[in-house]
Amino acid sequence: MKNKANYLLLLPGLILLGLFLFVPLFSTIFQTIRGKEGLTLVKYFDFFKDSYYISIYLRTLKLALITTLIAVMLGFPTAYYISRTNKKVRGLYIMLAVFPLLTSSVVRSFSWMVILGRNGIVNTILLNLNIINEPLKLLYNEFAIVVGLVYLFLPLMIMSLVGVMENIDNDLMEAAESLGASRLKAFIKVIFPLSVPGLIVGSVLVFTGSLTAYTTPQLLGGSNAKVLSTLVYQNAMSLFDWDTASVLATIMILTTLIVTTIINKLSGKLSGKR
Amino acid sequence: MALLNLKDVSVAYGDNVVLKDFNLNIKKGDLVSLLGPSGCGKTTTLRLIGGFIQANKGKFIFNDKDYTKVPVHKREFGFVFQSYALFPHLSVFDNVAFGLKLRKTPKGEIKKRVMEMLDIVGLADYSKRYPKELSGGQRQRVALARALVIKPDLLLLDEPLSNLDAKLRVKMRVGIRKIQKELNITTVYVTHDQEECFSISDKVAVMNEGVIEHLDTPQNIYDNPKTEFVANFVGFENFIDLSLQSKNEDISTYNSKNGRVFKVKSTNINSNKETIKGAIRPEEIKIVNKGGDNKDENTLDGIVGISTFLGKEYQYMVDTEVGKLLVNGNTNKRYKEGEKVKLYLPKEKMVLV
Amino acid sequence: MNTKSRFLTIFSVLVYTFLIFPLVIITAAAFGANDYLKFPPEGFSFKWVANIFEVEMFIRTFKISIEIAVFGTFLALLIGIPAAYILSRYQFKGRNFLQGLFLSPVLIPAIVFGFSLLKFLIIKMQFPVYTSLLIGHTVVILPYIIRVISSSLESFDYSIEEAAVSLGAGRIKTFFIIVLPNITSGVIAAFILAFINSFNNVPISIFLTGPGVSTLPIQMMSYVEYYFDPTIAALSVILMLMTAILMFIIERTLGLSFFTK
Repeated sequence: MKNKANYLLLLPGLILLGLFLFVPLFSTIFQTIRGKEGLTLVKYFDFFKDSYYISIYLRTLKLALITTLIAVMLGFPTAYYISRTNKKVRGLYIMLAVFPLLTSSVVRSFSWMVILGRNGIVNTILLNLNIINEPLKLLYNEFAIVVGLVYLFLPLMIMSLVGVMENIDNDLMEAAESLGASRLKAFIKVIFPLSVPGLIVGSVLVFTGSLTAYTTPQLLGGSNAKVLSTLVYQNAMSLFDWDTASVLATIMILTTLIVTTIINKLSGKLSGKR
Repeated sequence: MALLNLKDVSVAYGDNVVLKDFNLNIKKGDLVSLLGPSGCGKTTTLRLIGGFIQANKGKFIFNDKDYTKVPVHKREFGFVFQSYALFPHLSVFDNVAFGLKLRKTPKGEIKKRVMEMLDIVGLADYSKRYPKELSGGQRQRVALARALVIKPDLLLLDEPLSNLDAKLRVKMRVGIRKIQKELNITTVYVTHDQEECFSISDKVAVMNEGVIEHLDTPQNIYDNPKTEFVANFVGFENFIDLSLQSKNEDISTYNSKNGRVFKVKSTNINSNKETIKGAIRPEEIKIVNKGGDNKDENTLDGIVGISTFLGKEYQYMVDTEVGKLLVNGNTNKRYKEGEKVKLYLPKEKMVLV
Repeated sequence: MNTKSRFLTIFSVLVYTFLIFPLVIITAAAFGANDYLKFPPEGFSFKWVANIFEVEMFIRTFKISIEIAVFGTFLALLIGIPAAYILSRYQFKGRNFLQGLFLSPVLIPAIVFGFSLLKFLIIKMQFPVYTSLLIGHTVVILPYIIRVISSSLESFDYSIEEAAVSLGAGRIKTFFIIVLPNITSGVIAAFILAFINSFNNVPISIFLTGPGVSTLPIQMMSYVEYYFDPTIAALSVILMLMTAILMFIIERTLGLSFFTK
């Protein structure tokens, strides 16, 4: 840069982030390894010895994984369909996906409380059809959390995929077919490999999002189905056990970092092949 | 006395030296073109004069004042960009008025001068339009008007016509030259188009790898290029190795490797080296019938190879004793592949570099 | 149309039904006449919409949410626009690192960030709750500003900046009269996106509430824990209306294709 004064324009941002993001964050992390005599990992050992915590940690990973898989299964065909429609229709589809994305997560999770609740639409229909005699308990369990998370993050998956797929030339499919590939084969050999970057971005977003989401598990899982984020909140604000909350928080950061790194490494390999 | 004077200027980005000990003088009122292939440093030179980049060493003197450290916005130069760089959020009028407003020119005078300038470039009816509503040629003229309306001490044009189609380019360059002469404004013009550059310049500087190889009038550069690079760049496609036999005031004598004698006008000798290259354009070589005019001076024997049709002429690749030469022949007769021919290279058309 | 693409069409329509249906349900529930949430609702009534204005906490926290979102967004714009400009305009050592740094707040789990702010700002530094809330929101929306502004500067032709300077404008003046007017749509879109994200935020706000200070989403969450009546549904409809209007403005300024990037 020819003018050193330009760097000054970055300074307010750097100060803001340094003082109010990194310092608080590192002080939280630091707290987890500070013992009475020097640094120690004893708090982590305690955490991993506690089967209750372990079960919640594994549940969080499991739910995030299931959510991601469902989002891929629902999102991939839909995104492909959208990417092949003409510009006007595509704009409408994108609008309908962006709208939930911009709507409050409280509103979106709440809507599923209305649907899955004791007097919700699902139970009403099943009761009226005499399939069940008394309302099912659909809320406050893992099922409700997964439904809520898929609902929360599916638009993100669709957006990521459409972004990549709409740049795939229509002629490619036809070229593959003219060379003797069936439609399905052409799809698997041409469209799928070209969509991988979007799939990876979408999966990272959905997985880390589900792993750290708070509102949805809190409203739809309640105290019956706790996950890492609701556990952090409980320890911090109800039990005032800040040591444990900090350990949980640090584990959450590490897990997100590790998952993101692994997926990015994998994607680097995949795109390196081409 | 030169108006503009670059003295031993060097520009480098890290290890990449763009200009090295560069010198350039420009007289008041002249239109000087910087011509050369991409990467030769012509745009860098222009941007250096404009003040957008700083030299690592050397001086820039303008009008007897040291401009080396004067910031861009204090230079009073008009700059026309390759992309035109019109302000998309301003109308044609406001684009042109931009510089005058910054100079706190009174409102009435701004209006008068802008409309006058738009009149000169033929866009008086378009003052309320926005850049995106104009064609390429119209945008180019707005860019020119915007640069000229501030009555700049110097006009700098960076490939101003390269985004236009061929016909419009010819029309616009005539327009630019006319306005430049009318306003008598010293101008530096960067281009890679030889024809465009020769047609409008008072002087042309042919640049290569950060130095000026030849600075002269278009006519002199075309007829008598000073270096092999310039000769090649302006269309001398054939080069023959020659060694000096005798030098005289009027005509000098050289030998080719296979012992043929070549006589050359001494004014066309641009190097004092013993071994030298004789350069000639394809269209200046004459194909003479075998067995005819039997003077051996300035001739070569060859066999016709591939031929292509250029429209006005045929062009042949002729395999001679001194290598392959490109030769143009008229359309009365097309020589066949494998046919033996004699080539005559007129002494006044050969240039030694 | 052959069978395969018909399958794809039906599949996509079903997926979109899944995306839109819950929002329709919540809208229907908002205008029901029964005293608890029930579907299908019995009768039609505006009483729940009216009830929103009876709950004083909703009114108060709505105001706070708006204040925090507006102030936070202004602060983030003030800090973010110059930074985004430098990061897009110039090539320099460490540019990629700095870009990553400015986008990092979205990569850190918000719940962790909220908890860390509580410990550091409120407990340790004894900052007022309101100030802490504002700081937290400013930090977390900064990446949105940087991303949107950077993307609108991506197609910016910097030679028009040079043209302005060559005509006699100084660097700072050039920024205000040439650069800024040409990225206004980006600035508006950045403002709205940041505003929405701040307004909807839960995981940071939830740690930074105190006596008299809370945000609307937090208030809605605690309301749902105790009451199961359609008031929240009615409030949701109002929030969705607000979202729709803001989305319309984004569509007009930035274009929704921004979201597929």
